[in-house]
Amino acid sequence: MNAPSISLPFPADVPAGSPATGDATACLRVTGLTVQYRGFTALRDITIDIPEGEITALVGPSGCGKSSFLHSLNRLTDLVPGCRVTGSIHLADGTEVTHPKADVLTLRGRVGIVFQRPNPFPQSIRRNFEIPLREHGWSKEDIPDRMETVLRQVGLWNEVHDRLHKSAIALSGGQLQRLCIARALALEPAVILFDEPCSALDPLASGVVEDLIHSLRGQLTIVIVTHNLAQARRIADHAAVFWVRDGAGTMVEHGPAARVFSSPADPDAGLYLSGARG
Amino acid sequence: MPSVSKPAARRASFRWLDRSFAVAGGMAALVSFGLFAWLIRDLVRLGMPRISWEFLTAEVADAGRSGGIGPVLVSSVLILVCCLGLAIPLGTGCALWLAEYARRGSVPARLVTGGVDLLASVPSIVFGLFGMVFFGQTLRMGFSILSGGLTLACMILPMLVRTTLSALEALPADLRPAAAGLGMTRSTTIAKVLLPAALPGIVIGVTLGIGRALSETAALIFTSGYSTRWPETLSDSGRALSVHIYDLALNVANGGPMASSSALVLLALILVVNSAAVTLSERWLLKRHQTS
Repeated sequence: MNAPSISLPFPADVPAGSPATGDATACLRVTGLTVQYRGFTALRDITIDIPEGEITALVGPSGCGKSSFLHSLNRLTDLVPGCRVTGSIHLADGTEVTHPKADVLTLRGRVGIVFQRPNPFPQSIRRNFEIPLREHGWSKEDIPDRMETVLRQVGLWNEVHDRLHKSAIALSGGQLQRLCIARALALEPAVILFDEPCSALDPLASGVVEDLIHSLRGQLTIVIVTHNLAQARRIADHAAVFWVRDGAGTMVEHGPAARVFSSPADPDAGLYLSGARG
Repeated sequence: MPSVSKPAARRASFRWLDRSFAVAGGMAALVSFGLFAWLIRDLVRLGMPRISWEFLTAEVADAGRSGGIGPVLVSSVLILVCCLGLAIPLGTGCALWLAEYARRGSVPARLVTGGVDLLASVPSIVFGLFGMVFFGQTLRMGFSILSGGLTLACMILPMLVRTTLSALEALPADLRPAAAGLGMTRSTTIAKVLLPAALPGIVIGVTLGIGRALSETAALIFTSGYSTRWPETLSDSGRALSVHIYDLALNVANGGPMASSSALVLLALILVVNSAAVTLSERWLLKRHQTS
């Protein structure tokens, strides 16, 4: 449950997205990232350091490439036919995410993702953990403990411990999303990407999931795409504002959340964050 | 407040239309059920008197006029086993390729679906002739249970491919990114997530296939043949139940009563298979959506 402390393969003094606390090291270093779909540029030339153990929120209007950015961080963009990613992404241990021969399956275990709509497998709660954990080489005996640990961590254990053999589908929306977060946590990732994790949930469930994400701060690195600016203000240490410029998504502003939200330098970002536009 | 009601006369005519639709539908349902009930009544009346354990297990005697249908039942089951043994893996594999690997609308995918659909519209007698030439002569299987079973497999293949394909396509689209996001390989995703989720649909396809295979006559006459002996191996010729009924009804003088009894057995067999499959897949569906 921990991003092991690691020596950086790149010089730590390289100018980067100014870290909020000053001492945070970059967990993900993105350089010149461009994402194209069959010639259409969805995202152009993104360079940002994602600080370790903190929460980075990506905000901006729909269609500005936030999800493309998120999905390129664990190569889910590979699933989209015709999608081309250029530029580079490095993990702190030196793993080059964008390398053509990168071990994508292991990578996705280290950089997990939680989607907008909860997507459990239509099988028992237990199987939802067994299938991915077995795939990543966990032995059958270790799985129940691991499952209990993460279910406790997401506050679901007391609600489901007596029906682990029953279908996951029967849970409520908020419970399902916490189950999906637990499933991602089970693989001991260093990073979890959240793609609008609360926007399909009712306000109460949304609040529970938000608190859960906030509680993970410090244990692993979190990148969250959200349309809920108030939510981004509440939980983010860092913020990046995406905007469409010249027909392609780009990052117009990034830095410590407090500064980005209080005095954005970019005029579009300013209007968007103040609620006047977008 | 603006009036939204239609003129009374028009409303009355709609009401009349409503009622006549209900009556016409009810009549159609009644006729359909009546036909089914009549058929069953006739079969039971004509066939039931001879049904006994003896009838189900004894050898065929006097060209079918007496004795039982033991070897015929055994041959039918063996033919079915051969048929499903080829059709299930082939049909599931083909549907998996179409749903998970082939690019939608690409030339190979269109060729395969087109071929499968064409296969579905081929009359069964043509399958029989094809089976006789291909399995019987080219592959030297002769008149045999194997040759008949494989011919039937070709015949029910389109049905299996179609039902499995629609079951796979009906799965929630976000299962695949969910599995990929957890670092699962495609083969694990298919084997442990997609196929189990599509299982009820596949079972329904297999059931339809079994029904079709059990009741098939034309494709079997030239392939598994007429022999009424107890089959010893899959390369023996063996008479399927439907062929037996056909033969008794058409070629054997006074074979009618035994044909009715055999038909009753066949019908019961199909009913049992169908209801078992429906119960099974409903139970799976239920289990999947079970609330606490």
